[in-house]
Amino acid sequence: MKKLLAASLGLLGLLAAVQPADAHFMVAYNKDTYMEKAKDLDMRMVFTHPSEAGTVMNMGGVKEFYALHQRGDSDVKKIDFLKNVKEITWKNGDSKAPAYEAQIKAKDIRSLGDYVFVFTPGYYHEEEEGVYMQQITKLILNVGGIPGNWNQPAGLPAEIVPMIKPYGLWTGNVFQGQVLSNGKPVANAEVEVEFMSNEMQLDSNTMSSKCEVKYPAPQFVTQTIFTDENGVFTFGIPRAGWWGFAALGVGPDKEYKGKELSQDAVIWVQAVDMK
Amino acid sequence: MRKVMLLFFLCAMFGFADVQSALGHSALFDCFDNGDGTILCQGGFSDGSSAQGVRIVIKDSDGNIFQEARLDSNSEVVLDKPTRNFSILFDGGTGHSIEINGESIQ
Repeated sequence: MKKLLAASLGLLGLLAAVQPADAHFMVAYNKDTYMEKAKDLDMRMVFTHPSEAGTVMNMGGVKEFYALHQRGDSDVKKIDFLKNVKEITWKNGDSKAPAYEAQIKAKDIRSLGDYVFVFTPGYYHEEEEGVYMQQITKLILNVGGIPGNWNQPAGLPAEIVPMIKPYGLWTGNVFQGQVLSNGKPVANAEVEVEFMSNEMQLDSNTMSSKCEVKYPAPQFVTQTIFTDENGVFTFGIPRAGWWGFAALGVGPDKEYKGKELSQDAVIWVQAVDMK
Repeated sequence: MRKVMLLFFLCAMFGFADVQSALGHSALFDCFDNGDGTILCQGGFSDGSSAQGVRIVIKDSDGNIFQEARLDSNSEVVLDKPTRNFSILFDGGTGHSIEINGESIQ
């Protein structure tokens, strides 16, 4: 009987250890990804679990925040917005941690075309696993409808390059992207996908406590895809809203401060219902 | 608003089916007041193709032309801002021309 109990406890312990938790996601957010004319941006960068307004984590500061702007086949211009970044405290339930906001005036993005925003955080220390994480994150906005560099690599150590215009997605479209490490496709990369189930409330720097999705089981919270031999993945979008994609450990840096580093590539896209 | 007007125009001209095909290559155009007596105009197409060389015309309500220019390799041009009422035409040819009222330029 004792052996059975011990075996059961062991199994439970093992299950607890391997139970897939919802994923750590660097959220880069602006209310809309598409604008007919430029308007002020009110952006947030938060390291959290967006599928359940979960724990907020300290991302270890900000290294870079800029946009690569292009209209049609004109020259690509880099606009540094690091000076616009301000530290805030983000709170989800009882969990809170430093996060960042960026207020960007419409005049600074008045030119028509794409704005590929790149947010490079510092390093998050996952104490329980003794590893570091760094999620280099892209958010692509468009002003005026003229496309530009949305499908071009930004030259990041780790990135997801969209293969479908990321600011004009209908619900039911697929999102297709290519995972790159130092510009080279990553075959068989693990890509996690999560829906932002709880509304971002920018006035209070929180996520709503109301979850918009009823997940039937934990297996549905974080979707997982592996890239093909060309580093390409495809995901069907079942619902309007914000979807995050994270390619895990694809960056070239594998160690930080003597510990294992997962240098991830993240991109957020917004899907809209066809009415 | 200009895009909406263009769509209505295209709907009226060709019907819905043709609007769909036109949307594959719609002209897009906007201008901004630089605040220094000049106006920056930018144009392009919805498929990202260049608008280099497209004729830009500033004229008054009677059609009198103040100034003509062509979009550069970045599909933009800087124009002198007239001191009286004006509009700016993106002369992209049939179905691809857009006119902006000067009063709406900020």
